[in-house]
Amino acid sequence: MSSEAVLTARDLGISFGNLKAVDGISLDLKPGEIMGLVGPNGSGKTTLVNLVSGLYRPDRGEVRLGGRKVTGLAPHHLARLGLNRTFQVPKPFHTLTVRENVELAAFYTRQEPHTAEKALEFTELAPLADRLAGSLNVGQQKLLDLARALATGPRILLVDELGAGLGPMELDQVAAKLLELAGTGVALLVVEHLLAFLNQLTSRVLVMNAGTRIFEGKLAAAAEDPLVVEVFLGG
Amino acid sequence: MNLPGAQKGWSPDMLEFSLIAGILFGLFFALVGMGLNLVFGVMRIVNLAHGDFMMLGAFGAFWAYNLLGWNPLVTIPVQGLAFVLAGMALYYLLVPRLVALKDFEMISLVLFFGLSQTIEALAVLAFGNNPRSIFQPVFGQAPVHFLGRTFPVAWPVSAAVSLFFLILVYFYLYRTRAGYATRAVMASRDEASASGVNVDRISALTFGLGLLLASVAGMLSLFMLGSVSPDFGGNITITAFAVIVFGGLGDPVGTVLGGLLYGIGLMVMESYLSSWANILPYVLLLATLLVKPGGIMGKEVRHV
Amino acid sequence: MFRKPLDLGLVVLIPVLFALAPLAYNNQLLLFNAMVFLALAQGINIIYGFTGYLPFGYVGFFGAGAYGASLTVMFLHLPAPVAVLLGGLTALALGLVLSPLLRLSGVYFAIASLAASEAVYYVIANPGLVNITKGPYGVSLDRVYSPEFSYLVMAVIVGLVTAVVVYLKRSHLGLSLKAVRDDPLSSETAGIDVKRQRMLAWSWSALFAGLTGAVFAWQISVFYPGTVFDPSISIFAIVFTLFGGAGTVLGPILGTVVLYGVYNLIGITEPQYFQLIYGVLIMVLVLFLPEGIVSLLKRGGANVL
Repeated sequence: MSSEAVLTARDLGISFGNLKAVDGISLDLKPGEIMGLVGPNGSGKTTLVNLVSGLYRPDRGEVRLGGRKVTGLAPHHLARLGLNRTFQVPKPFHTLTVRENVELAAFYTRQEPHTAEKALEFTELAPLADRLAGSLNVGQQKLLDLARALATGPRILLVDELGAGLGPMELDQVAAKLLELAGTGVALLVVEHLLAFLNQLTSRVLVMNAGTRIFEGKLAAAAEDPLVVEVFLGG
Repeated sequence: MNLPGAQKGWSPDMLEFSLIAGILFGLFFALVGMGLNLVFGVMRIVNLAHGDFMMLGAFGAFWAYNLLGWNPLVTIPVQGLAFVLAGMALYYLLVPRLVALKDFEMISLVLFFGLSQTIEALAVLAFGNNPRSIFQPVFGQAPVHFLGRTFPVAWPVSAAVSLFFLILVYFYLYRTRAGYATRAVMASRDEASASGVNVDRISALTFGLGLLLASVAGMLSLFMLGSVSPDFGGNITITAFAVIVFGGLGDPVGTVLGGLLYGIGLMVMESYLSSWANILPYVLLLATLLVKPGGIMGKEVRHV
Repeated sequence: MFRKPLDLGLVVLIPVLFALAPLAYNNQLLLFNAMVFLALAQGINIIYGFTGYLPFGYVGFFGAGAYGASLTVMFLHLPAPVAVLLGGLTALALGLVLSPLLRLSGVYFAIASLAASEAVYYVIANPGLVNITKGPYGVSLDRVYSPEFSYLVMAVIVGLVTAVVVYLKRSHLGLSLKAVRDDPLSSETAGIDVKRQRMLAWSWSALFAGLTGAVFAWQISVFYPGTVFDPSISIFAIVFTLFGGAGTVLGPILGTVVLYGVYNLIGITEPQYFQLIYGVLIMVLVLFLPEGIVSLLKRGGANVL
């Protein structure tokens, strides 16, 4: 496994009005690495994901994919370069079938057609392939969102609150899937509230509060960091 | 639009005339937009039949004058009550069903477009496809002299009626319990509902109020715009929409400002560039939506 | 591109049927107008059925095409088929100019497009431009008048627009447009260039309205700005599409055949009764049958194109 970072973000920042939603965040991800991104509600986690995935254009800082500067590129462009994400609230194409949802993503990111089939099998959605996406339940829609992202053949995947709304059994399955994915060399940034879930995945976390980084390191060490404890418990 | 009092040619006095006439017309256009904006504010529905309700209001006043000899000012309260009731009935008939549908904004647009066509067709069948007007001197014979300029008496009378109803709306929204609830619904339907406001009742009432204002504005159109025919609705709806988008959707105060600026702009164009004046509402609407979609005061309407 | 014989059948059969129809039925103008509305309904279908943008001002492209072609004939003295092509390109250019409207969400787009077509109408009809557009006095193309030739060109355009809709129905492009309509953000992350795809549908839609307007001008040869910018042209085409079922190939065809048929039975002598019928029809449709009459066939188990 290469030790070169596949994703580098330097000093990213964006403000909405007077609010500094993300204020000077940097991070590196290597192939196959999983990094947890935690923090209280409103701390800027999803905004950071939006910045990296191209939904928002940062006010400052830069994003690089394997050395190439991609700051401000549109999400469809980044998807073709191998950076993808899932959504906290998935919005699959509800008038299309499950298979069409995934096939489109493979087609428009110029992947081999079988990438789509593989993504369906990986997420165990293959039996539902001919159903309309709008008819899936929330858990299945989350998996479809993941399958859509996987069908683009990502080297970096940003996973935004995949665990929320899933039952304990499903959580274990999803955790195993994400580990399997990392094993194939995909770098993962996982935004998560459920620390137990995150603990199954990785030991490395970045803790945010009010748009800034307050901790980076081992999850176990984070639990003993006074600032982190204050933010999570003292709020 | 041919305005009886507008004079052609260049002169410094014309600007003064345009400004005063613009304010008179501006109050009228604010009233034209107000009903549409209140309905939009509480329901997020663009009532494409707004202009057709105005047309019905105009025809009501026309027939009341011609058959019963009623002065249009007498017709207002009687007809207004009928429109409030019709609006409430229409709300309960259509809207709760709509809100349940996905993509309800678009669907309701198409629905009210259908309603607009239906009203127009029925009006042609009932009244014939002719423009109608009321003999101007119904409000008095003498033209009004003001600041050395001469205006048809119907203009200040219509402006005064418009102002009266705008003030009434203000008092309703800011000085009554129902008005307070209405503003809560305009701010957020869900939160108003969660705080115990009967959203359906308030919305129905607002829909009724919107139609009442449309009927009054329609009656005044007989004087301000010269005449009203059954197919009058389409263009005036766009004008009303231009006024409220310009002033800020869902913002009643913005509508008054938007109406005044539109009225002044229109009169200035009628005076100096009269052949291009009829393009004003469309260009204003497009420019506002594209350049400053929130209007001079309001919120964003763009999406990805 | 055409996976099933039915696809090719429709694309070839419809224009051929129209081309031969005057041999059996002598009201050629009625048949011509049916083709005009069929092409416009399919043009609306391209943009509304696949992207959800409802262009109330669609007639603006039709009128732009009519005037683009007419000015080509009057000032450049080019042959009519070339003028038709330039008419189509005029509408396409207008579509590009108006493309910022695609930034607006559904309801605002619908009304803004209507305002845009009215604005274009008032510019063309303005007496100040009488030397260029003939202003409100209208244009005459008697030099190139040819009802038979223009009729056949219209049949070809109907074939072409049908082919485009079939292509959308069968291709990744059409599927991606529906995806964009369902959710633009997810579409972007699926690698779809949302702006570009919308622009494509919008351009095709504008082009066909322009070509149709151009041939219409050629066919009737004398007309006023109000003739080719009449908002009821948009309204008819939209109602035909909604009635039949947007987002399908057959929907607009069925809608046009049925409703234009009804129009010719009662609409010409009693237009207000026809207006009443479609006004009520729209309300009933959106409440009870939002996907048009083809959805009845789908419910019956048919595989509708």
